[in-house]
Amino acid sequence: MATIIESPKSLTQADFKGRVDPDWCPGCGDFGVLAAVQKALVELQIPNHQIVTVSGIGCSSNFPGFIETYGMHTLHGRSLPVATGLKMANHELTVLVTGGDGDGLGIGGNHLTHTMRRNVDLTYIIMDNQIYGLTTGQTSPTSRLGMKTKSTPHGNIEGPINPITMALAAGATFVARGFSGEQKHLTELIRLAIQHKGFSFLDVFSPCVTYNKDNTFQWFRPRVKKLEDDPAYDATDWLAAMEKSTLWGEEIPIGRFYERTDLPSLDQAEPVLKDGPMVGRSAHIDPAVAQSFIEELM
Amino acid sequence: MSRHLMKGNEAIVKSAILAGCRGFYGYPITPASEITEAAAALMPQVGGVFLQAESEVAAINMLYGAASAGVRAMTASSGPGISLMQEGISYMAGAELPCVIADITRGGPGLGNIASEQSDYHQVVKGGGHGNYRTLVLAPHSVQEMADLTVLAFELADRYRNPVVLLADGFMGQMMEPVEFPEVATEPRLPRWAVAGTDASRGNVITSMHLDTDKLEAHVRQLEAKYFITEQREARAEDWRTEDAEIVLVGYGIVARILKAVAAEARAAGLPVGVLRPITLYPFPTLHFQRLTARARAFLVVEMSNGQLVGDVRLALNGARPVEFFSRVGGNAPTHLEVLAEVQDLARRHLAGAPAEEELIVHV
Repeated sequence: MATIIESPKSLTQADFKGRVDPDWCPGCGDFGVLAAVQKALVELQIPNHQIVTVSGIGCSSNFPGFIETYGMHTLHGRSLPVATGLKMANHELTVLVTGGDGDGLGIGGNHLTHTMRRNVDLTYIIMDNQIYGLTTGQTSPTSRLGMKTKSTPHGNIEGPINPITMALAAGATFVARGFSGEQKHLTELIRLAIQHKGFSFLDVFSPCVTYNKDNTFQWFRPRVKKLEDDPAYDATDWLAAMEKSTLWGEEIPIGRFYERTDLPSLDQAEPVLKDGPMVGRSAHIDPAVAQSFIEELM
Repeated sequence: MSRHLMKGNEAIVKSAILAGCRGFYGYPITPASEITEAAAALMPQVGGVFLQAESEVAAINMLYGAASAGVRAMTASSGPGISLMQEGISYMAGAELPCVIADITRGGPGLGNIASEQSDYHQVVKGGGHGNYRTLVLAPHSVQEMADLTVLAFELADRYRNPVVLLADGFMGQMMEPVEFPEVATEPRLPRWAVAGTDASRGNVITSMHLDTDKLEAHVRQLEAKYFITEQREARAEDWRTEDAEIVLVGYGIVARILKAVAAEARAAGLPVGVLRPITLYPFPTLHFQRLTARARAFLVVEMSNGQLVGDVRLALNGARPVEFFSRVGGNAPTHLEVLAEVQDLARRHLAGAPAEEELIVHV
């Protein structure tokens, strides 16, 4: 659970506006994700200095510059290990991790699997545009079969990864899918994801208006169906979530697929962190303890 | 033979295919992405495999697999991606697998920027991976050489069973020039050491592991002997009006182009200036440098990195002549005017009766 402090002056969206204006193309889906994150932070009233935004490399990974929180722009695909190190050093911080489908599911795919397995208390938002945008339009791990891109000029012969099924299988304790074109719904999902104690995985359709002519706002709009509109859907039922995750085509479910709250996050499971974060802790060692393990090493 | 106008990045791929390359495993990165894109378009047309890997780590290991099977294969990237490949390059050098890697360099360290630098010199020429190994390194200075040296790279890789790196600054990858290709394509034969799935290759094992200390030492000595042979036979450099040069300018890649313009201008002003351009950065053309000391009074090394090539020049000359240094970094290229000013300064101090100087180490 993020630390919520009653602030004397309530925070507004303007307080989360970054000092740099986004360099995304006009109409990019990433604008909607940025706005939804800012709105969710306003709802949660988390002070700016208690939030860190961590990213890798890609168009969407420029995100930390565009939001007024602490920010870390890290290596391609490595945002999750960096965020894990940060969280374990100071687990009182709210840590948001942002990036694209190439960063998170391609080069960072292995890190993603293990960060989910460890249940690190992070909110990970993949701004999924099904293309490599920053390098000007090559296939990505979520590009559809047959899709023509600059690196698949004869059509993509590989099938896409299903990020939701993958997250469920890897043990993520919060799994959701949003759409940049559904602001209110996305804001709610981000708020729930931040509030979830454990690894929150959010795959967000964030159309690339420059390089992906297949998966556009117009393509998604009639297809996305909110899980929340089905009163019978039970987000604590893992098998039901697995089944829903395989739906793709005329109907694409968005919303919270799955959440479980009975597992400790990594910082909760780590005994040495039970008295508080490592940050600010004294490094003093009792001389008797020091003597005992020096003797043990001899 | 017809000439075609194209980018250096595109020339590499066309040349590679003509050199018999039938496997390309890559990952997009600016300013090398056009290589991946051209390979994606062209490889299937000649029955070659193109695969966009999930990372550069994956790409270099796919190359390990293709090379083990005896297929000529290559990859391409830029600084940050090459850093990721270093582990695999060390393993390939250890397992004596041929492959070609194009490094279209950008600015660093870290994310740096996407403008041209030559700051990958150390990680490529000195070997950024672990262990006692070398990679052979070729440095083109024109789009024509992007094509020609790619062919040479595949030949050297097979001849010495070793990774070969084509080290070209971003200018080389991005600029367009006319280029001619060989009319006859190479059809490489299946190497006898490959794990080819044939009865004859049944006993072949590809490995870089030698647990016995004496066996590993013998393996490293054998690699050393191989590198020594490349030093004797494969070092290449271009001498440009050095026959009477008293001041020798040294640079590779785009810098060499600038240096030729500077030398021409200096000569017009009556200064005996020439250019020595290393084409192989490893093996380093040491003898080419030593030969020039008969007449040369001083050397000026110009780089788009903060003093990486200059170290090898000093080793080659071993104190015989003063070596001075000028650089621009961050993605900036030296202008011919600023290099010319350096040359004029050098001439004042070293030519026409100026007293002989000890070697000066000057960082600019």
